[in-house]
Amino acid sequence: MTTLTARGRGHATASSRPRAARRTARLRESLVGWGFAAPNLVLMTLFLFIPIVWALILSLQETKGFGDPEWVGVDNYAKLVGDPVFWQSLANTIVFTIATVPIELAGGLGLAVLLNSVLPARGVFRTIIVLPMVISGVASGMIAVILFYESNGLLNKVLTAIGLGPVAWQSQGVPAMISVVIAAIWLRIGFNMIIYLAGLQNISPELYEAARIDGASRWQQFRSVTVPLVGPSTFFLLIMNVIASFQVFDLIFVMTGGGPGNATSVLVTYAYRNGFQIREQGYGAAIGIVILVITLAFTFIQWKTSRTRDLAE
Amino acid sequence: MKLSSKRMLGAAAVVTAGSLVLTGCAGFGGGGEEGGDQALTFTTWGSEAEEASFTELIDQFEAEHDGAEVKLNVVPYDQMFSNIDAQLSSGDAPDLFRVDYGNLGVYSSQGQLLDLSPYFDNAEVDEFVPAMWEAVSYEGVPYGVPHQTDVSAVLVNTAMVEQAGIDPSTLPQTQEDAWTWQEFADVAEQLRASLPADKYPFVYNWQLGGAPRWLSWLFQADGTFLDGSTATIDSAEGEQALDFTKSFFENDWVPPTSSTKGTVYADSLFTEGTAAMAFIGSFLVPDVDYLAEFEWTAIPMPRDVRGATDLGGNALVATKDTDNPDLAAEFLKFMTSADAMSLFCANTNELPTRLDLEGDAVQFVIRPDVMPVFVDQAATIEPSDVKQLTSPAMAAVNTALQDQLEAAFIGGQSTADTLSNLSAAIEEAAQ
Repeated sequence: MTTLTARGRGHATASSRPRAARRTARLRESLVGWGFAAPNLVLMTLFLFIPIVWALILSLQETKGFGDPEWVGVDNYAKLVGDPVFWQSLANTIVFTIATVPIELAGGLGLAVLLNSVLPARGVFRTIIVLPMVISGVASGMIAVILFYESNGLLNKVLTAIGLGPVAWQSQGVPAMISVVIAAIWLRIGFNMIIYLAGLQNISPELYEAARIDGASRWQQFRSVTVPLVGPSTFFLLIMNVIASFQVFDLIFVMTGGGPGNATSVLVTYAYRNGFQIREQGYGAAIGIVILVITLAFTFIQWKTSRTRDLAE
Repeated sequence: MKLSSKRMLGAAAVVTAGSLVLTGCAGFGGGGEEGGDQALTFTTWGSEAEEASFTELIDQFEAEHDGAEVKLNVVPYDQMFSNIDAQLSSGDAPDLFRVDYGNLGVYSSQGQLLDLSPYFDNAEVDEFVPAMWEAVSYEGVPYGVPHQTDVSAVLVNTAMVEQAGIDPSTLPQTQEDAWTWQEFADVAEQLRASLPADKYPFVYNWQLGGAPRWLSWLFQADGTFLDGSTATIDSAEGEQALDFTKSFFENDWVPPTSSTKGTVYADSLFTEGTAAMAFIGSFLVPDVDYLAEFEWTAIPMPRDVRGATDLGGNALVATKDTDNPDLAAEFLKFMTSADAMSLFCANTNELPTRLDLEGDAVQFVIRPDVMPVFVDQAATIEPSDVKQLTSPAMAAVNTALQDQLEAAFIGGQSTADTLSNLSAAIEEAAQ
């Protein structure tokens, strides 16, 4: 881009109509910008903005998805306020987010630091940790079902073998929530590790050298050099993980279906249940809009308050 | 970085082409417009045996009807109805599809299906079991053909009951000697006493969308749940049915994971040997025959005031906007002809819906010895059951049953609260 600007300027001084030439150059520059942004914009408009507006319209209707829709205004939202399962699903989503995100972040950073050092066979470890990321969510959910299967799953067999007795992974609320949290962490920690690894490799070794000369211990180096300097990665991952946790669906849908009772029902599984199983698409869309508003609000607050998001050396 | 206008034009062309390709994708799996004017698209889900039978019958139909072409599209059951819903809403539905009797009401009440009354005269209608013709009708108008039915009966792992001291030769075989609820409870108690803690006397098939199968207990107690748009479930019969089924969990007669929101099918728990008996539909007989590594037999469902079972099976329907309504109706007629239905049911262990195929007319391919129990059991379905089970409210009633029964079975919700919640949900759905 710099070349283009410089060329434009050079051309402008030689021209007899400098202002017009400058305008052409600027127009050209912005066209180039739009050219680069266009493919993404087209895709986002098609698959993001139009569906969002559509969902908003749908949330103001009562419709089964086919047949004649009926306009009901904000009735669906009014119904949400008085729906205990919606509030429980929201609470479950928050619990799920609070339980997964900090462990995913801390675990991802820990693994990244470990695998950034001279660990034997670290290539193998990196591959193993990242592997769940490349498997589809549904397939991972199926694997998790086999592991947590209550009557003769692997985990309960191991627990029984070491004398601890089986855990009611599928028939009691708290163990069921723990099982989906464990599975979610297993799935996502690899992604966090990769982003942190990239972040770590951007930190200059001289900083650690300087810290060591100043007498900083290993922990102090980690606390005062590593953690602040991976700030941009942390900011990015925090947003991504919170959004992912708020939008968790495939894993819970496959593992527990939102049960037992509504113990693992989260906003998206509840939206799916209403939209596609009960066929109250308007109500399902209203829940979808609530998820959108919450994630936008969180991202906005985080954006405004984070001090380390743009921190670089 | 230099970017000539030629390149920019190229980039713009790529973007436009890309978006054109993407818009083109939107119509995948669509319906009516493909092929010639004698072409039909038919979307269904199905087991291997079902798919093979559909293919065989379609070939036969095409051979008998010059120029006719039926394109079979087999999709996974999980995606069947969200696909159909999306295709209906985008005006791209197939000409024909398969639908269970519970979901049929949703489509017929929303005016999405072809009215078949001009195509079937009274004599043809009279060839079907009246309750099954009722199942495809909405406000007296037929919107599909009853292709097959299947009902649940009880499969028994003979070795496991024998170990509990029950002689397999004394097991009931017909509706006349079916166990009463009390006799069934005694057997469950006897099995519980002899089985280890991680094995269970039986498992009921109300998981994964099967919650309406609970209604068999309500019907056995001579109860109802819907009368027009009034909920009738909050009754003495409802209380009796709910208390009895709650006791399955309280007494550890069923696996704790097998509640209405369980994610494991009853037949899996049976074939893996976790449960000694299982309530299972006849369509699963081939699967159980293949998977179970033990001897098993089938016995009738227990009965209380009357016998009852669930209304399984599926209808075939044509969509209202099909380009070939005459040919579509012809295909539906062909699929429910005596020969075609007999072939389909024999290969898939499903039950016919025609009066001339009742009794032992169908020669089932797999485990023909256990099929008379299912045929016999099907006769316990009464037209009044069918009327309730095919109401357009059924999809919402299904979800209410899942939630409320789960809360009652393992969430400790009282019988009174459960029935009153169910009553409210059913009433709302039926409005």
